[in-house]
Amino acid sequence: MKNSNINTNQEYKYGFTTDIENVRAPKGLNENSIKFISKMKKEPKWMLDWRLKAFNRLKNLKEPNWQKPKYPKINYQDLYYYSAPKSASNKPKSLDEVDPKLIETYKKLGIPLQEQKRLSGVAVDAVFDSVSVATTYKEELTKKGIIFCSISEAIREHPELVKKYLGSVIPLTDHYFATLNSAVFTDGSFVYIPPKVKCPMELSTYFRINASETGQFERTLIIADKGSYVSYLEGCTAPMRDENQLHAANVELVALDDAEIKYSTVQNWYPGDKDGIGGIYNFVTKRGACRGRNSKISWTQVETGSAITWKYPSCILQGDNSVGEFYSIAITNNHQKADTGTKMIHLGKNTKSKIISKGISAGQADNTYRGLVDIGKKALNSRNYTQCDSLLMGNKCGAHTVPYIKNKNSTSTVEHEATTSKINDEQLYYCNQRGLNQEEAVSLIVNGFCKEVLQQLPMEFAVEAQKLVGISLEGSVG
Amino acid sequence: MIENFKISLKEIDKINLINQEDKNYRIENLEFFNKKGFPTKKEEDWKFSDLREIFSKNFKKIDINDAYPEENNFRLIQEFDHNYILLINGRLIRSDFKFEDKNKIKITGYKEENFLREKSNNPLICLNNALSNEGYNLVVEKDYKFEKVLVIYNLFNEDLSEKILNNKNKIIVNKNSELHTIEYTINRSKNKFFNNTYENVILYENAKFKNICIQAGRSEGYFHKFLNGSIKSDSKYSSFIFSSGLKFNKQDIQIDLEGKNSDCEIKSALFLNKEDHQEIKTIVNHLVPNCKSFQKIKSVLDSNAKGVYQGKIFVKDIAQKTNAYQLSKALLISENSEFDSKPELEIYADDVKCSHGSTSGNVDENSVHYLMTRGLTKKEATQLLINGFLKEIISEIKSDTIKKFVENKLEFQVYGY
Amino acid sequence: MLEIINLKASINKRDILNGLNLKINPGEVHAIMGPNGSGKSTLANILSGKNGYKITGDLKYKGENLKDIPVEQRAQKGIFLAFQYPLEIPGVNTNNFLKTSLNTIRKAKGEKEIDTLAFLKLVKEKAKELGIDEKILSRQLNVGFSGGEKKKNEILQMKILDPNLVILDETDSGLDIDALKTIADGVNSSRSKDKSFLVITHYQRLLDYIKPDFVHVLSSGKIIKSGSRELALELEKKGYKKIN
Ligand SMILES: Nc1ncnc2c1ncn2[C@@H]1O[C@H](COP(=O)(O)OP(=O)(O)OP(=O)(O)O)[C@@H](O)[C@H]1O
Ligand SMILES: [Mg+2]
Repeated sequence: MKNSNINTNQEYKYGFTTDIENVRAPKGLNENSIKFISKMKKEPKWMLDWRLKAFNRLKNLKEPNWQKPKYPKINYQDLYYYSAPKSASNKPKSLDEVDPKLIETYKKLGIPLQEQKRLSGVAVDAVFDSVSVATTYKEELTKKGIIFCSISEAIREHPELVKKYLGSVIPLTDHYFATLNSAVFTDGSFVYIPPKVKCPMELSTYFRINASETGQFERTLIIADKGSYVSYLEGCTAPMRDENQLHAANVELVALDDAEIKYSTVQNWYPGDKDGIGGIYNFVTKRGACRGRNSKISWTQVETGSAITWKYPSCILQGDNSVGEFYSIAITNNHQKADTGTKMIHLGKNTKSKIISKGISAGQADNTYRGLVDIGKKALNSRNYTQCDSLLMGNKCGAHTVPYIKNKNSTSTVEHEATTSKINDEQLYYCNQRGLNQEEAVSLIVNGFCKEVLQQLPMEFAVEAQKLVGISLEGSVG
Repeated sequence: MIENFKISLKEIDKINLINQEDKNYRIENLEFFNKKGFPTKKEEDWKFSDLREIFSKNFKKIDINDAYPEENNFRLIQEFDHNYILLINGRLIRSDFKFEDKNKIKITGYKEENFLREKSNNPLICLNNALSNEGYNLVVEKDYKFEKVLVIYNLFNEDLSEKILNNKNKIIVNKNSELHTIEYTINRSKNKFFNNTYENVILYENAKFKNICIQAGRSEGYFHKFLNGSIKSDSKYSSFIFSSGLKFNKQDIQIDLEGKNSDCEIKSALFLNKEDHQEIKTIVNHLVPNCKSFQKIKSVLDSNAKGVYQGKIFVKDIAQKTNAYQLSKALLISENSEFDSKPELEIYADDVKCSHGSTSGNVDENSVHYLMTRGLTKKEATQLLINGFLKEIISEIKSDTIKKFVENKLEFQVYGY
Repeated sequence: MLEIINLKASINKRDILNGLNLKINPGEVHAIMGPNGSGKSTLANILSGKNGYKITGDLKYKGENLKDIPVEQRAQKGIFLAFQYPLEIPGVNTNNFLKTSLNTIRKAKGEKEIDTLAFLKLVKEKAKELGIDEKILSRQLNVGFSGGEKKKNEILQMKILDPNLVILDETDSGLDIDALKTIADGVNSSRSKDKSFLVITHYQRLLDYIKPDFVHVLSSGKIIKSGSRELALELEKKGYKKIN
């Protein structure tokens, strides 16, 4: 291959910080900081008890170490567990009351926080460091009976729903990071779609880590009641800092009979610089339960950021005829590491799952797909189809495919395929002959490689994601 | 006697002809085994086959075997001409190379000095390192191609009951030479025992080695074999594995492609029945450029059988132009059968073609239906299809007489007659 | 337009072209014929700037030495190659690809980028001229296209990108008679004073439609005979062996 002129890694576009006064919990992980969080959020006692129970369990849990990316030990006592823009400590009633600096920040991020008169309105809940700062389109949603608010608000306003579903998909003591989150989660979004309601717009949350030395622990809970539908989007960015920051979110989805949840993520946390200094540790637990008959949960993720990504959005297919899907693009460049995949647990009859994973590794990065497909004895006539493809750019990076496949049912079928290769030289040549330079050609071919996943994203996101794919690989061809 | 499957260090004293260094090595290994015990599903390599659980369910006690009786009424395969060696309970009893140039072949029993004192984390290898003192050592000198196949009769006698056997074998094929073997296991014991084998295969430049692994019938044996192959440039390793009829069988195969243009092929056709539990685990390490590897594992699972395939392809950063492919297909034909797989790729070089596929499910309904419209019963149709499914692997055996021989064994398993 | 002087080329230590000379003036159409394996596609690849060949001799395009100019810049300068075997690129939408390609070339020429609406209009018009079903243009690039559809798609790209030097590598092979005619019409309607064509073909029939100014015979990496259109007829009768 010839050498075209190579850009050095383009600067991370979202790497600015915002100068805003913060209210912080005392440093360190202890009962006091948990009580502080709970108090700041004016939580009822049951919520504090729940947190403390998780905290007690945490003492007996160990950080997992089976995943491929290794990271230096995190000193949990050296982190702030709560950081909130001062102006938001009394949550604004309308957008006019939101700190203009925050609005400015979100503008820079390209988030349509202002209720713009757009045809395709997107309702946004924005989480800045630890607290939810604004939710848009609230009234319109309320008319349909849809609840879309911060989880803190839901704890106060809709305790019966929160009590019933919180921790019902990710148990309190699931594993170290999930339990840590249960103890110290600060904010996140809550969605409830009532029976037979199709949510008329995309619901969206933007997460932003701003303050330094702060861990971000959001908690998201989405419940789609019988026969309802919702599509939910999540975007994330963070400033450039040369320390590593921890992000350990929990996301729980519950789909009842005939309900469908579509959950899309474009994750673009700061990945660290080209020498691997700084960046976010993105250790996230995402799990959905297809609890009802004919329910469906579909995860789509585009993972381009973070120093280390470690997440497995999963589906528990309990209801008969339920469907789980996982579409993923994970791009790692420079020193990034990603260990991601899914678990499809088939319990009900006629359950179906589909996994499409595209991993792209460049620079010195490491990219692992790790997945489990488990067809239980009672999951008669179930099906899984898995396709995992990896692209390697250069021989300093790695691609790893680790699927676990269990089939305990003779009426069920599991199919798995995986490939690893590099970009085809002939395809590059063809594009060059039509006038495209090396980087344009790579971006085009890689986007083609990812097509099946990209087309799962809602329109506005898909365009952004496509650009991100190109940018993430800049400087990796030569 | 082994308390809680822990083995007394005294067992090592029973092994004669060992020097102090050797003894220390064996003690170290035994202590490691005693500490770890039989592996459980907590260990990544044993995720789908919890040996400790299988053992505690099926064995009350287990002793070290020390009996190597003389052969009685042992009969050679009649279907084709062959050389042979005879092993009883792992010990080399005799050999016959009547079709070959005897100067070109060296065969001896187990020899300590043939093996490096390597450290292992695998408890079963450690157990073997600690206690093995039987096995064989076969060397094919350079520039020699075997005229006829070599059958390795691996006979286990009637009296084996609640015993552990540990053997170590080594096969060396020198430059420009060729060897073709059939490892034929005959199991006369009606009782439970555990056979734990370590095998080391070295192929030098431009050598070829082909092995077929097959059993005479069903038995109560529990087998584990670790095979380590080291393949130099332009040489080719190929292995066919057929159903064992054993209660438990795990073949753990690690092939290191160390020389350019080397090639490794592993193919398997398994019909598992009753409570059979068979696992094949392969790791193919592509360490240099321009090598090929191919694995194709086909399993049919009946009754309560469980089949497992764990296959890993590793490609080192310098191993450009690697071509590696792996395929596992399983048919589950009974409600209580299970098939688990973990096809894994770990790749650090970019100019490679690596892929794997894994499927499991039932016999294709459309095909069954088609055959039934031609007058076959459902059972006949299914049998015909699974037979065809497995025969694809057998059809790749070159020699017609050997192919027929293997086919007969397989049909016996599928049809029961 | 193009001048090739004593071009020698080898790949993987195999000599393919052994001193080839050719001059094409603006507005001319040259045809190259020659037995399989004589080096026709190699010549086309080298003109487009494909890597991997060891080359000596000179290539001049519009007076500029092409050496050291990478593939995409040659394309931007107006060299277009219709491939003998057009490649499939999964996941990449054909229209999208064409638009990206057109815009990079326009940008390189200092022209304004074309907007989506104008582009779609252009494609529609050209596709219709070539009898291409528009539906295939919203499919993945060449994936699952029939042999003929791929070839037509190459000509469509030629029409849209509007190059100065067009190299057609066996664009007529595998086409039905109607398609052959459409493609020839496509070429003929693009002929102009400032455009030159190099048509590689095995069949004299194409040359009935596209009337070349010159016909060359390439054999063992050299042009062994050049002549007018009659040479093609002679070849059709006698075969390559009797030429010389
Ligand atoms: N990468 C390569 N390595 C080795 N030989 C090559 C390579 N590419 C081309 N060749 C050889 O060079 C010769 C010329 O090939 P080329 O494709 O230019 O022929 P052609 O004239 O276009 O033939 P056809 O009429 O069949 O299309 C052939 O013998 C071919 O096998
Ligand atoms: Mg050609």
